[in-house]
Amino acid sequence: NEELWVQSVLEMPKRRDILAIVLIVLPWTLLITVWHQSTIAPLLAVHKDDGGDSQRDLAAGLDSKEYCLSDRDIVEVVRTEYVYTRPPPWSDTLPTIHVVTPTYSRPVQKAELTRLANTLLHVPNLHWILVEDSQRRTPLITRLLRDTGLNYTHLNVETPRNYKLRGDMRDPRIPRGTMQRNLALRWLRETFNKNNSQPGIVYFADDDNTYSLELFEEMRSTRKVSVWPVAFVGGLRYESPRVNSAGKVYGWKTVFDPHRPFAIDMAGFAVNLRLILQRSQAYFKLRGVKGGYQESSLLRELVTLSDLEPKAANCTKILVWHTRTEKPVLVNEGKKGFTDPNVEI
Amino acid sequence: PRRRPEAALPTIYAITPTYSRPVQKAELTRLANTFRQVSRLHWILVEDAAARSELVTRFVAAAGLPCTHLHVPTPRRYKRPGLPRATEQRNAGLAWLRQRHQHLPPPQPGVLFFADDDNTYSLELFQEMRTTRKVSVWPVGLVGGRRYERPVVENGKVVGWYTGWRADRPFAIDMAGFAVSLQVILSHPKAVFKRRGSQPGMQESDFLKQITTVEELEPKANNCTKVLVWHTRTEKVNLANEPKYHLDTVNIEV
Repeated sequence: NEELWVQSVLEMPKRRDILAIVLIVLPWTLLITVWHQSTIAPLLAVHKDDGGDSQRDLAAGLDSKEYCLSDRDIVEVVRTEYVYTRPPPWSDTLPTIHVVTPTYSRPVQKAELTRLANTLLHVPNLHWILVEDSQRRTPLITRLLRDTGLNYTHLNVETPRNYKLRGDMRDPRIPRGTMQRNLALRWLRETFNKNNSQPGIVYFADDDNTYSLELFEEMRSTRKVSVWPVAFVGGLRYESPRVNSAGKVYGWKTVFDPHRPFAIDMAGFAVNLRLILQRSQAYFKLRGVKGGYQESSLLRELVTLSDLEPKAANCTKILVWHTRTEKPVLVNEGKKGFTDPNVEI
Repeated sequence: PRRRPEAALPTIYAITPTYSRPVQKAELTRLANTFRQVSRLHWILVEDAAARSELVTRFVAAAGLPCTHLHVPTPRRYKRPGLPRATEQRNAGLAWLRQRHQHLPPPQPGVLFFADDDNTYSLELFQEMRTTRKVSVWPVGLVGGRRYERPVVENGKVVGWYTGWRADRPFAIDMAGFAVSLQVILSHPKAVFKRRGSQPGMQESDFLKQITTVEELEPKANNCTKVLVWHTRTEKVNLANEPKYHLDTVNIEV
């Protein structure tokens, strides 16, 4: 009985103490949380030209606790614009990735290039070579490229139309994008000197595929030609190079013509710029190329199978998807067009 | 010279219903690449599933932005063509937001919008929606059988709808064409996407009429003359060459 009484006496002050502690601590924790939140957000908007703060990848750091405090007052780092620094600042040590994207005008073009740009904006040391299939560089693309803030080169070459065969149709014997990719290769060879060029990697990225950020880091270490699996090609979930235990490519895991010299999709390989400059006559073959042999027509001038470097964990991870976008239904536009053509889509 | 600290940016909540199919990971990847460019964006991913899938769980862990991973399965009787889709998932996103904020005092800063996982969003769109006070609207590209649909604006107010389908709807707008302030969602706790009594194509209209009027709408994107979001759709993948038997020795996630 006495024990119980003592116990209850001890418990009561305990509860009161706890209550007191809570009432004192709670306002402080609330205060600190609110203060913390209101000062973190402005700090995330780092000045582009602010040399004092060391750069970090803002895209990943949204909720991370790392932020750079300069010697100055926190207040001065604030900007009215909450724009992340994009693209990331240029690094002197990373090889440049030259992304070659052929593109052509159709209703989804601006959408495709917008979401591709949103991906590319994450990648450091990226140079986008956009080649239009057109007679002239269009205002839509000119504006789009300028507004992204990316480091870019804007080219154009029109695939010749074959009036005799099908009226207004483009020459069906030249696979789409070939002349545009070749123009980019020629531009690279005219712009960079093979004896004196900065390290670079060349990658052919069609405007409707989907690319993970990890892919660009995998290709950056390419010495000659690197390869990896591609999803949604050849009627499969993915096609992939076959890699043996020594880490060498010895074949191709595909159903469609696995005996092609390089049974790989355009999105499945990258080439070191030096190799492009050295083999200056290597281009994609324009005519007489069987379906699925386009990639081989270039690669066989550059490397042999044993030279290939497998990436993406020895070709066991999918880092790029050959997505295709549906043609939008525009039946309500009618023959003459209904919507205002000046509103750009 | 000193500058005054800005008030905390309102968080943008993106409610994305998603379901399993071959292109799911690709869609989420490119959507994440866009969302990661936007400051203070909180992604609410709601799977149409009875349980969280491994793919999405792994994806969320590595997504690189604040993300809430929910799931709710669509009852089978609602999975018929012609019936509205993703209703339960969007409502789950709304319920989560309400539960999280209901007990906090108004006004709660924040804007939410419904981001389907196959659409395409420009970065400018997020700047436009962030200043939403109640409900804001803008044009949507490649929808309604047209290059774009848009609200018709006069003197800064919405007076009609420029749309290819049933312009007589009270709000003739696509899911991708509007955003709602968090405060409006909290002060209308019963506003949800409905199934009963909702005709196909009326989801947006039935939802918006519970929370706002046409007069209240805030037009964005330069008085609704710029297209900043596109209703893109991804082709179904050709898997004709996948083997029925003799499957691969490794299990690779696509």
